[in-house]
Amino acid sequence: MNGLMIKALSFAVVLILATFYVVNSMNIDLSDPINMITMIGAIAIAVITAGVSVKYINQMKSDTADGKLAEENWDGIGEYLNELPSGWAFSFLGTMIWGVWYWFIGYPLNAFSQIGQYNEEVLAYNKKFEATYKNPSVSVLKEMGESIFLVKCAPCHGTTGDGLSGKAQDFTTRMSKAQILDIIANGSNQLSYPMGAMPAGMVSGDDANVIATWIASGMKGEKPVAFTACASCHGEDGKGMAGMAPNLAEYDDTIIIKTLEHGKKGKLGTMPSFKTMLTPVQAKSLSAYIKTLK
Amino acid sequence: MFHWLEKNPFFFSVGVFIVIAFAGLIEILPNFAEASRPVQGLKPYTVLELAGKEVYKKDNCMSCHSQMIRPFKSETDRYGQYSLSGEYAYDRPFLWGSKRTGPDLHRVGNYRTTDWHETHMFEPTAVVPSSIMPAYKHHFTNIADIETAYAEAFTVKAVFNTPYDVEGGVKLGTWEEAQKMALAEAKLITADMKNKNVKDAVESGKIPEIVALIAYLNRLK
Repeated sequence: MNGLMIKALSFAVVLILATFYVVNSMNIDLSDPINMITMIGAIAIAVITAGVSVKYINQMKSDTADGKLAEENWDGIGEYLNELPSGWAFSFLGTMIWGVWYWFIGYPLNAFSQIGQYNEEVLAYNKKFEATYKNPSVSVLKEMGESIFLVKCAPCHGTTGDGLSGKAQDFTTRMSKAQILDIIANGSNQLSYPMGAMPAGMVSGDDANVIATWIASGMKGEKPVAFTACASCHGEDGKGMAGMAPNLAEYDDTIIIKTLEHGKKGKLGTMPSFKTMLTPVQAKSLSAYIKTLK
Repeated sequence: MFHWLEKNPFFFSVGVFIVIAFAGLIEILPNFAEASRPVQGLKPYTVLELAGKEVYKKDNCMSCHSQMIRPFKSETDRYGQYSLSGEYAYDRPFLWGSKRTGPDLHRVGNYRTTDWHETHMFEPTAVVPSSIMPAYKHHFTNIADIETAYAEAFTVKAVFNTPYDVEGGVKLGTWEEAQKMALAEAKLITADMKNKNVKDAVESGKIPEIVALIAYLNRLK
C-alpha cells in the first residue's frame, strides 16, 4: 500500500466521520433499517470511490498500452482489437431472451388497457351504487331525481320542469287541452301499456272538447258523460286502472318510467328514449322528483 | 465483422434508420390497420348529412364542441358509450375537436331531437337559459350547398372506395338522383320542424342549412 492510497483512505474516513457527525446532529435514528442501509451505502461509496480512483491513478502512472490494433485509424488514433467481454455478451443474450418473453408473454398479458381500467371502474361503481341505493328512501330518490333532471331533462323541460312554454311536456300540470285533443284525434300507442293502442277518433266534436277541458282543468267538477268512452281503459277515475293504461289524472311511476324507456312523439315534439342512459333506480328517482313538481 | 460500417458513417446511419423504422412499423402498423377499420354497421354519410357536416365545419362548431367521448365513467354517464376509432372511418376529416366550451356532440342524436335543435340553433337561451352559445339564425335562411356535398361523396367513393351504392347501404346515384333523395330526406326532417319559412323553402325544392345540419346532428349516434 503506497502513500497515495493511505491518504485517499484517510480522506474517506474523514468523509465518513463527517457523515456520522451530520447524522447525529440531525437526530437520525440509525436503528431504523432504511436509515442503516443508507448509512452503509454512504460508507461504501466513500471507500470504493477513494480505492478505485487511486488504483487507476497509479495505473496511469506506470501502464503502457499493448495489443493488436484494428485496421482503421482516425488521424493516427487507433483502436485495439479486444475480445467481447463475457459479461457484456451474457447481458446481450439475456436482453434478447427477455425481449422474446416480453413480446409474447410480458406485454400481451400485462399491458395497461384504458378500456380495461374503465370497465373495472364502472363495475366497481355500479356495485357500490347498487349496494348504496338498494332500498332508497323517498327523500333520497327525490334528491337523486333532481340532480339527474337538471342534467338530462332540463335542456328540454326547463330547470323548473315547466316545459319552457310549450317546448316540452309541462310537469307542473298533467296535460293541456290542446295535447288531449291531439291524442283523441290521432290516437296513441307509444308506451306499450297492457291495454294496447288507443285508436284515433274515439270521440269527436263537442264530446272531445268537453272531455279535454275537464281533464286539462284537473278533473274537477262534474265528470262529463262522454268520459265513459275513456273509462273502459283509463278507469272511471281516469287513473289508468293501476298501470293498465296511462294515468290521466297525475304522473305516476308507470308513465314516467315507460316514457323514459320508449321515448315519445307528441304534439309538442319528440322525446328520445333514455333506456340506455339511466339505470332502473335512476328512472324511479326521476319519477319521484317529477311527482313533486306540480 | 462490422468494422467497415465504422468507416462509413452514411451506411451506419442507414442501418440505424432501418432498425428503428422496422421496430416502429411492427409496433404501429398492425394496431393502426385494426383501429381504422369501420365498426360493424357503420354507413357512409348521405349527401344531406354531408351538407350538414359542411355547415358544421363552416361555422366552426368544432372549436367549442368535441366529438370524442373518452372512456371515463363521468363522460359515458353524460354522453353515452365511449367513442371507438372505427366510428370515424368515413369522417374526412374527423371533427374530434380539442376544446369543450360546449358539450360533446359525438352521440347527440341519441338524446336531442329535430325540434330541440330547431329551437336551440335559432336562440340557444330559449332552451338553455345559461347558454353562451351564439344564435345561428342565418342557418334558417342560407341554402345548403348540396352540390359540394355530392362532389365530396362522389370523390370519396371514387378515391377511397367508400361503400356508397352497395346493397343495404347508402345510395349515392347520379347528381339528379342525389338531389331528389336529399330533398326527400329534408322533407322528413321538416315534418318535425315548426319554422314556416324553412318548411316553405324545402317545399319549393331548396334546402336551408339548418335542415342539413339537423340531418347531420341526428345522425351522430
